[in-house]
Amino acid sequence: MNLSFAGCGFLGIYHVGVACCFRKYAPHLLLNRISGASAGAIAACSLICDLPVGDMTSDVLRVCAEARKRSLGAFSPSFNINRLLLENLEKFLPDDAHIRCSGKLHVSLTRVHDGKNVVISNFDSREELIQCLLASAFIPFFSGLIPPKFRGVRYMDGGYSDNLPTLDENTITVSPFCGESDICPRDDSSQLFHINIANTSIELSKHNIYRIVRILFPPKPEVLSNMCKQGFDDALRFLHRNNLINCTRCLAVQSTFVVSETIDEHLEFDPQCKECKLHRQEALVSNVPDSVLSQFQEAIDKANNGLLDWLFKHRGMKLLSVLTLPYTVPADVVYATFTKLQLIPPSIKSGPRLMYRKAADFDFHSFSGPIYEKKSCQFEMFGNAVLSTPTYACHQHFIRERRFMVAAPQLGNGAWEVSKFFMDKLSYLLSKVNSKRQQISAKITCQLAITEYGRNKYDVEACQALSSENKMNLNFTLNLDDSELEMNDGQSRKFKTKEILCKPSVTINRSDTMDNDTFDHILKVTSQHDTIMAYYYLDENNKVKVTEIFDVTDSDSPIVQTSHERLINNNLEFDDELNGSGWPQHQTIDEHMSQNDLEDIFDSCTLLSDPESEWTGYKVEEPEDDQEETRLDHRPESERSFGENEESWSKKQNISSLTYEEMDT
Amino acid sequence: MFFHSNHCLCCRNSCKMQTYVHRAVQCTLLKFLDVFSTAYSSFLYLCFKFSWLAPKWLAWNRFSEGMLRTLEKKILSIVKAAHRGFFVDIGPVVGNSDKIWTISLNTESPKTPLVLLHGLGAGVALWCLNLDALASVRPVYAIDLLGFGRSSRPDFSTDAFEAERQLVRSIEEWRKEMKLKDFILLGHSLGGFLAASYAIKHPERVRHLILADPWGFPEKPAEHKEVPLWIKGVAYVLKTFNPLAGIRVAGPFGPWFINFVRPDISKKYQMALEDPNLIPEYIYQCNSQQPSGESAFHAMMSDFGWAKVPIVKRIDKLDPNMPITLLYGARSWVDHSAGDIIKEKRTNSYFKLQVISGAGHHIYADKPESFNQMVIDACEYTDSTNPDTTRIIIAPEQEQDEPESDRNS
Repeated sequence: MNLSFAGCGFLGIYHVGVACCFRKYAPHLLLNRISGASAGAIAACSLICDLPVGDMTSDVLRVCAEARKRSLGAFSPSFNINRLLLENLEKFLPDDAHIRCSGKLHVSLTRVHDGKNVVISNFDSREELIQCLLASAFIPFFSGLIPPKFRGVRYMDGGYSDNLPTLDENTITVSPFCGESDICPRDDSSQLFHINIANTSIELSKHNIYRIVRILFPPKPEVLSNMCKQGFDDALRFLHRNNLINCTRCLAVQSTFVVSETIDEHLEFDPQCKECKLHRQEALVSNVPDSVLSQFQEAIDKANNGLLDWLFKHRGMKLLSVLTLPYTVPADVVYATFTKLQLIPPSIKSGPRLMYRKAADFDFHSFSGPIYEKKSCQFEMFGNAVLSTPTYACHQHFIRERRFMVAAPQLGNGAWEVSKFFMDKLSYLLSKVNSKRQQISAKITCQLAITEYGRNKYDVEACQALSSENKMNLNFTLNLDDSELEMNDGQSRKFKTKEILCKPSVTINRSDTMDNDTFDHILKVTSQHDTIMAYYYLDENNKVKVTEIFDVTDSDSPIVQTSHERLINNNLEFDDELNGSGWPQHQTIDEHMSQNDLEDIFDSCTLLSDPESEWTGYKVEEPEDDQEETRLDHRPESERSFGENEESWSKKQNISSLTYEEMDT
Repeated sequence: MFFHSNHCLCCRNSCKMQTYVHRAVQCTLLKFLDVFSTAYSSFLYLCFKFSWLAPKWLAWNRFSEGMLRTLEKKILSIVKAAHRGFFVDIGPVVGNSDKIWTISLNTESPKTPLVLLHGLGAGVALWCLNLDALASVRPVYAIDLLGFGRSSRPDFSTDAFEAERQLVRSIEEWRKEMKLKDFILLGHSLGGFLAASYAIKHPERVRHLILADPWGFPEKPAEHKEVPLWIKGVAYVLKTFNPLAGIRVAGPFGPWFINFVRPDISKKYQMALEDPNLIPEYIYQCNSQQPSGESAFHAMMSDFGWAKVPIVKRIDKLDPNMPITLLYGARSWVDHSAGDIIKEKRTNSYFKLQVISGAGHHIYADKPESFNQMVIDACEYTDSTNPDTTRIIIAPEQEQDEPESDRNS
């Protein structure tokens, strides 16, 4: 069986969820060929290269957040999607990516001159692979004007000719649009009208109209996160229906953290949190995987990183920013045009350019100090990775956009020295101007150190000892490597925080109505298991939401899986109900069910509920009083034997690629 | 809106007012496009007739009866079995004298005949991949529903109940005219809805109800997920139009438009038909005329393709002895809720659910071989039961379990 991922722009986050599920539950399907177009190709590539999915998710969420910041969203002239994609691919793809992908990855491209579809499946070098992926994601006028060249021919997005390349009959198609694909969201609509554009079947439903619009206008990170989870659920459902996995049950845990400067004053409650209890699992912090926690920290800090951001969080400012759009857009256009005009000649050696870029990436529309640090840090890493490669020139097209300081190198070294001097002076001056705010954002440097250098130490004990006031402080110390961030005045700008004890206050809400048993169960589960997948995002109210998906099928301890949970577990196996109906409707249907069972189910309903539960209602298909009987009789014969085989098979497999290492305490 | 008015008694009047306004807006927008396109074409037609200055190629709407006939003939030329097409005059059912276009095959066979009802926007020719196999054992009649294909196009009622009743009556009149005692009724999509409705009204005529991905079974679920307001606005405007209005607006580009939007349809027939343009052209010709059946469908539909009067509400009125076979494509998903509800409400009746893997909504064209085989099997089951004793309850327990294992086949 082959896999095929549809191209879908920012909705590509859906594929991440699907990919994650496949890796965990059906890795044997990944041994075959995987095809895709645009975002689907990138997803396919990351799947083949075994990239850390949690990181990727968070990264995509970050790109979307970035796009949303601009005046025209992703259409803003200063938003360069190609560059962001390139950076991420460079950062994540392993060195032997092209070897792994050759023959397995099939990328659908559209040849510009005749509009024909071309499927590329062999890559000579890593650069070629990246180039191919970028060409497959090139949407004219959105990504740029001139389509990129790949092996001397200009190509553009595969979505123009074949958005869902199917290699043969046995291809599992994955599409984030509700339609006639194997894995796709199931909307509450009547599959009657649907269109089929570039081989992707799209049903004409309200939700799909929404999704289509969101291809190029990224939605809120919250929506994206839900899409990711939806992808995971849909894929799991597909695998269940087709007997591709044994009995599994996943527990999606969404935690919400409210980030606030002062611990006590803003105890905000997320309205969504009130809908279900699972959101409030503060204890989860104790075993949030290392990588996720650090990213989560990054998100916290990002939210604090500027007066402007703070201002724009308010509704009035949002309205104002919409009203001023006619003025800001031309300014943006002029700015972007100006910066894009400055091209770096490819002949420049990589050494000095690295420095230029470091200096050049001081961004003039973000005036807060921490951003400087962050950017320079990131670009340094990126610079080391990219610029040292000899074939760097092949990405020339995508790295055209530099800040205007980049023009300086063309004038020679002297000019550059002058500019560097001015830059440093300027930034020094700015840091003075902003000195007051820097104290607030001192944490950002801490976070920087974590994400970029990974020398953090979390005081996990503090997290595990849950105080009764429902508060928690994450303490971590920071060791900044001075040699890495050498900037003349940078050190002073770096908030005198050489060995800071940072206390980013993570205030966590806990509901008083929380059922202690449920809570204990989840605590047990989450402490005993690694997450299959975890990612975070920051919503507009300055809350970090961490979503983790746990597999609790194998946990046989009675605490984790009580009898009613098992019942659910068994029923989920036959969950080929794709309706979006929730529990209350089924209550009326299951008339024969004993009262006792019903109660059990409703108990577990609250346990399982999450914002997606409306979409993915767990359904009890047939009432069964005896749960043992359910186990034996409920399954059809063929499925039973197959399931058992599968079970033993998958137990042998150790799929560690997706689980994060336990935190080093 | 209806939901709302049922629940708040105090503001019922205002709600009714709202409903009225809502309807008024809909009605105004409703035929705008169709009126526009047909008015333009009739204007040109008049020009042509009286001044013979405006040539025919200027007409926006490219429908011609002859063209439709030719296309249908071409497509049906791949059917090897001898077939005959004829109009059946069913008299004044909706219009003054309605005619139903019928294709008949293997009429000499003494077995119970099979009647095929097509879906929305389709016509008899789309059964071309199935007719041979199905007609090998028994007489097969495929009809263009009243208001579709080559059948006459009267003005249906705008009321959901009435429109459905009219369509069902047209089928019954057709049966009388054809002098069939009883038959096996197979309906796809909209045809499935009508077949079920017909079976409820005339249970003595239907020996076996075969539903292929039927439309209009489940009730419209309550909206769980909030959609943004502007989406609601777009949806509000869109649902005032007839579902296939786009084809008529496209005019001369209609076939191209169909092929652009649904390239998969012609791909399904690629193996059998040499000319890939035949199917889009045929669908265009079927739907570029006055949209009467389509309006009836629009009247029966509420909010993006849900039935106003869904079958599940009435399924218990169906004769419990009538066997039902439900066929679904694995990729078409609406199935499960409808299948479950039928199974649940008809615990003592014969009910078989079959899922064809790799097939979508158009199962008969996606996987013709398995579809034909399943239909033939279902028909054979009917043959095996003596027509005189069919009124005895046939409730085989083991049969009921079968769908479970079939589901994943």
